[in-house]
Amino acid sequence: MATLATTRLLCFSAVPRQVTRRLICISAPHKILNKASRLTKYRAPAITLNYRYYAAPSEKKVFQRTKPHCNVGTIGHVDHGKTTLTAAITKVLADKQLAKAKGYAEIDNAPEEKARGITINVAHIEYQTDVRHYGHTDCPGHADYIKNMITGAAQMDGGILVVAATDGAMPQTREHLLLAKQIGINHIVVFINKVDAADQEMIDLVEMEIRELMSEMGFDGDNLPVIKGSALSALEGKNPEIGSKAIFELLEAVDKYIPTPTRELDKPFLLPVENVYSIPGRGTVVTGRLERGVVKKGNEVEFLGFNKAFKTTVTGIEMFHQILDEAQAGDQLGALIRGTKRDEIRRGMVMCKPGSIKAEDHVKSQVYLLTKEEGGRNKPLVPYMQMQMFSRTWDCAVQVNIPAKEMVMPGEDSALILKLLKPMVLEKGQRFTLRIGSMTVGTGVVTEVLATLNEKEREMLLDSKKKREKALAAAK
Amino acid sequence: MCERLGRKSVKICENQEAERCCGSCLGLRKKTGYTFANCKKALEMSNNDLAKAEQWLKEQAQALGWSKATKLEGRATAQGLVGLALKNNTGVMVEVNCETDFVARNKTFTSLVEMVAASCFKQVHALKDPHTIGQLTLDSSELKSLPGPDKAPLGDHMALAISSVGENLSLRRALIVTVPKDIFITGYTHPSPDKISAKVMTGKYSALVAYTTRSEGPNTHQVARQLCQHVVGMNPSKVGVAGADEPAENVDDETVMIHQDFLLDPSTTVGQLMEASSLDVLQFWRFECGEDLKPQELSPAEPSLASQAG
Repeated sequence: MATLATTRLLCFSAVPRQVTRRLICISAPHKILNKASRLTKYRAPAITLNYRYYAAPSEKKVFQRTKPHCNVGTIGHVDHGKTTLTAAITKVLADKQLAKAKGYAEIDNAPEEKARGITINVAHIEYQTDVRHYGHTDCPGHADYIKNMITGAAQMDGGILVVAATDGAMPQTREHLLLAKQIGINHIVVFINKVDAADQEMIDLVEMEIRELMSEMGFDGDNLPVIKGSALSALEGKNPEIGSKAIFELLEAVDKYIPTPTRELDKPFLLPVENVYSIPGRGTVVTGRLERGVVKKGNEVEFLGFNKAFKTTVTGIEMFHQILDEAQAGDQLGALIRGTKRDEIRRGMVMCKPGSIKAEDHVKSQVYLLTKEEGGRNKPLVPYMQMQMFSRTWDCAVQVNIPAKEMVMPGEDSALILKLLKPMVLEKGQRFTLRIGSMTVGTGVVTEVLATLNEKEREMLLDSKKKREKALAAAK
Repeated sequence: MCERLGRKSVKICENQEAERCCGSCLGLRKKTGYTFANCKKALEMSNNDLAKAEQWLKEQAQALGWSKATKLEGRATAQGLVGLALKNNTGVMVEVNCETDFVARNKTFTSLVEMVAASCFKQVHALKDPHTIGQLTLDSSELKSLPGPDKAPLGDHMALAISSVGENLSLRRALIVTVPKDIFITGYTHPSPDKISAKVMTGKYSALVAYTTRSEGPNTHQVARQLCQHVVGMNPSKVGVAGADEPAENVDDETVMIHQDFLLDPSTTVGQLMEASSLDVLQFWRFECGEDLKPQELSPAEPSLASQAG
């Protein structure tokens, strides 16, 4: 009450309005906290912030998580019926109440989607079979698939390659398969489309040819499933033998051949630290959203980041002011840590299962540079540029090296080698953004962790251009 | 490989007759790259004579190509490549478009771009003025009627490529530049190709720069190439004349080349760099794949050209 009174007084003078606002901000959590302390065992101011998670339940249909989820995508030549196949899949599944039927035009004219500020031409479709739930991605171009991989709108676990029986593999089918490799698809099911326009002999030849090509490109060509049918027949409800039956056959092959990805819940736990608090009489509390796995009271944990690494134990977990026996991936929680001072932990570190992840300072990545329209720079990226890398809750200065290119233009994607000034918790598949000053330059995903930098290499990161050129010349 | 295919075809084809047919169809497809449907038709026409079938396919290819090209005409071609070729005192830049970037990465398509660029060299004779920088622009219809390596027009070659990749293609534009003896010309494409030594470089962007040197140092031509890279990366609107063109207030908005920060070393401007390496850029040309064409870009030599070239 006293604070409120002061606040009102202060409001009359224009200058300290900022101060006033801050006072109100501070005073509110205290009130909540007082109430909360009656419920909880210890006071953790950070936990009170989670009040916003009590938002009113939305009026949308609740997603039923009864089947494992898997992401697939279609690749293939423009005229071979990718879109027709996708439409046909939704159509035959809609007949079984497992999907919402989508028209050809709905998928084909996929609206430009904005993911992390990047414009991608992509269609995302959702459906389920009897065993699994699917997210289905369809993009028109190579660059769109790469952008999709980088922003992680839907990481693809497997692919369906569509080939028309009339044409067979096209010259650019090689490029399609190279792309699949590049975005990490190892399991491909082949659908030979338009079989109604070809005879049996030709279909067999196409199958033979595609299996050979797949083997050549490093896939398991001899054993991967090849399904023959006509997507158009399925879409129009004609010739069930090559129509809907073939589509079900295809879906069954996808169910069986493409492995279910490991659920985040089943991975070793990891919590990026958002805030650290010291609770008098109790100890140190870290808060954040559990990214994956399950953490229990009494678990041994490791803190990593900023050149530090130490192990300790979780002595309590709370969410929404209530004690939890175990927290699951996705939970926003506060964890009480045994025997650790507040200043030993800071935002940007991670709390993880001991030994499950490491701090790295040298990675290969795939990065998309934003165009000026998307909020990026209008200048290209050149080697040895220094930028700030943001990932999870940390940020760190990095030096950028470009393998195989002399520069990267805005709107292009490229492989980049990043050298961090300090080792940070990084792993394959981790997403990040690159910024210069207050401007977001690009966004990317780690594709490979490289050998840690040695002392000399790390020193060279800070060298001037002249010194670097001298060193390079000397090395020659 | 043959053994494996043989084994498979046994499984597929019931009798000897059909097996032989399967094998030859596959062989023909492998050799010529035409679709199975056409290979089969060719074999039927020639009574399973491989040589005759191949002959027939080659004769048909042109007609098939044009019919496919007509069918796909009108589909948007937003992707593609630019090609750049340099020989002595001549530089050529061409742009060829396709529908998807998958095709743009394919070898069939890059060879078409290379062929178009190489064919443009033969047009240099139209620019035989040894004292000024000469430039010639060709639009889509002019390019199509240009003779290719085997005297057949480039349009025919394009139709063949269309039937091979099954996408609409277009020969969008070409630029031929020749410079007098005392002027140098160099070029750059981005992303730079794996083998720089290739006769035709391809990429999404390209630039040609015509320049003179006052005294030739060991790095002069290297710097000129870096300036081409600068033109690609920073997209200046003109070279600019020191004194006449004022630098922009905000260096990030600078469009006059000599006042722009040098791409590879922002601590110096292009003007300073040119001074330091005794090099003068007279003119530059830049292609960006898929960019909107401004009307003046297609018009013949700019009037300022002659005076600049001096």
